[in-house]
Amino acid sequence: MNTHKLARSCAIVGITRAIGLKTDKEKKTPLQLVVEACGELFRTTGIDRTKIGALFTGRMPRSYFTLQYSQSVLNELKIAPVISTEVTSHGGGALGTIELAALALNAGLVDYALCVTGEASPIWIDMIGGSANWEADLQFEAPYGPTTPSLYAQSACRYMHEYGISSRQMARVAVENRKWALHHPYAAMHKKGEITVDDVVNSPMIASPLHLLDCAPWFPGGIASAALITRADIAKQICPNPTYIAGFGQWNTHEWVGERMGTWNVEPVKKGPSMVRTGAKVAADNAYAMSGLSAADINIAETSVPFTFANLLMLEELGFCGEGEGGRFVESGGIDFDGGLPFNTTGGYLSFGQSGQGLYLLKEIVDQMWNQAEGKPIAGVENGLVHGHGGPLGCHSVMIVSKNN
Amino acid sequence: MKGNNPMNETPIKVPDWSAGKKVMVGELFLGLYQPSPETTGFWEGVKRRELLFKHCECGQFHHPRRMLCSVCSSQKLSWKKSTGIGSVYSFSEIHRAPTPEYAQTVPYTVGLIETGEGVHFFCRIDQGRKTPIAIGDKAKLDFRVLESGYQMPVFITHD
Repeated sequence: MNTHKLARSCAIVGITRAIGLKTDKEKKTPLQLVVEACGELFRTTGIDRTKIGALFTGRMPRSYFTLQYSQSVLNELKIAPVISTEVTSHGGGALGTIELAALALNAGLVDYALCVTGEASPIWIDMIGGSANWEADLQFEAPYGPTTPSLYAQSACRYMHEYGISSRQMARVAVENRKWALHHPYAAMHKKGEITVDDVVNSPMIASPLHLLDCAPWFPGGIASAALITRADIAKQICPNPTYIAGFGQWNTHEWVGERMGTWNVEPVKKGPSMVRTGAKVAADNAYAMSGLSAADINIAETSVPFTFANLLMLEELGFCGEGEGGRFVESGGIDFDGGLPFNTTGGYLSFGQSGQGLYLLKEIVDQMWNQAEGKPIAGVENGLVHGHGGPLGCHSVMIVSKNN
Repeated sequence: MKGNNPMNETPIKVPDWSAGKKVMVGELFLGLYQPSPETTGFWEGVKRRELLFKHCECGQFHHPRRMLCSVCSSQKLSWKKSTGIGSVYSFSEIHRAPTPEYAQTVPYTVGLIETGEGVHFFCRIDQGRKTPIAIGDKAKLDFRVLESGYQMPVFITHD
């Protein structure tokens, strides 16, 4: 396969983050956070703005409306790249920045690529009141009064119906994710204590079948993350322990929930439309194929899906269990904090909170490899998988990173 | 050459609600719910209490606003009236409303109706039989003025 030549051809040689909280005396914009993360990256790697050949940003932050967003970042950092753009496809675009970096590096266009994501909406915007208007088709869906959970719930409804998934199985994800959050100083639920399956299924119904604790809370602030990517040969010279980009894949199928059943005859809905199966499986299959690794080789996995059921579904799509087996997999300890696959180790969107985390999930895996995790450290991480998701299960990026070249 | 003069084109008729409804995200004005040229046909139908889907010359129905048939790649699509018969494909009962105007109605249900034309139509679903809304329930088309103040096509379950 052509893509195999990309495997481990590039590496992350630096990755930084900046966090701003709602409670900070001086509230920060996404651009301030982005600049803070990039500044630290330049200082810690020794690769400054004059050496950056490519700049790829995640999508424009909701709380920083500007056209040509990547230009705003470029302008503020005063870098002059030969190639740059904003990468959209919702949260899937965060990892898309790294994919484009790998392509530009392999093409010999540049030696160093800067990838940066940032968001601070919960600081500046009423996310609860307004969020459905971001997720629904304004003309054909929004007038019916949907909320974001009710849009995702269309898939939850079919997932439970088609595979016999139960609310209690879904709840297990929230229970296990919470345990990781208790160890992470910045997790939204850091001080909220453990929860039980009963707590989840008895929490108020938000949009059936999703209860309050089946849904991600908003992160009480904003996060920007910046990564410096270079070719493996350069990485070995400038970094003692590069994290290699072993494989990646991206697969987007639709935009609105009401459009989803209008797609078929392409993967992953070759046989017919589905409200359940997603492009994450195709993205993951491609990432595994490129990397030469399988799910059994993965020591840590992170996903940005914001509901319990979607986490079960992603465990299936990402290859950690078979189709329809997500419920039984978690019930039998598959993602247990004690002894299971380390999964959503910052607490996940369900307990760390949602804030367009972008590359922060990738940073968590790199941090674990570099023994500098902000939350609970995990020993012996060789290979990690991160899944970036966006739109109501419409956009999917998967990246596998490895300590080994 | 008459047809090439833009001044001769019939102005697009927009339904009454096209004056638009503000879409706010907190204090941020995002835009308007407003039909555009590729969708006005649908909303003209709604004014007449008709549910219209795009129908391709190959026989395939599409919704919403398809301009290119995903089956045969034809662009010869026209609006065709739905029989208004369908069944519940998926649904969610909303208990926490997005905005105060919808909060008066909770709980209410949104979902996908699989229509006789093979279209999966996202809409409000109201319970019209004794048992709560469930996958597979038969449902038929109706029109209701919703909290937004606009008449919208909805489906009602029945025995």
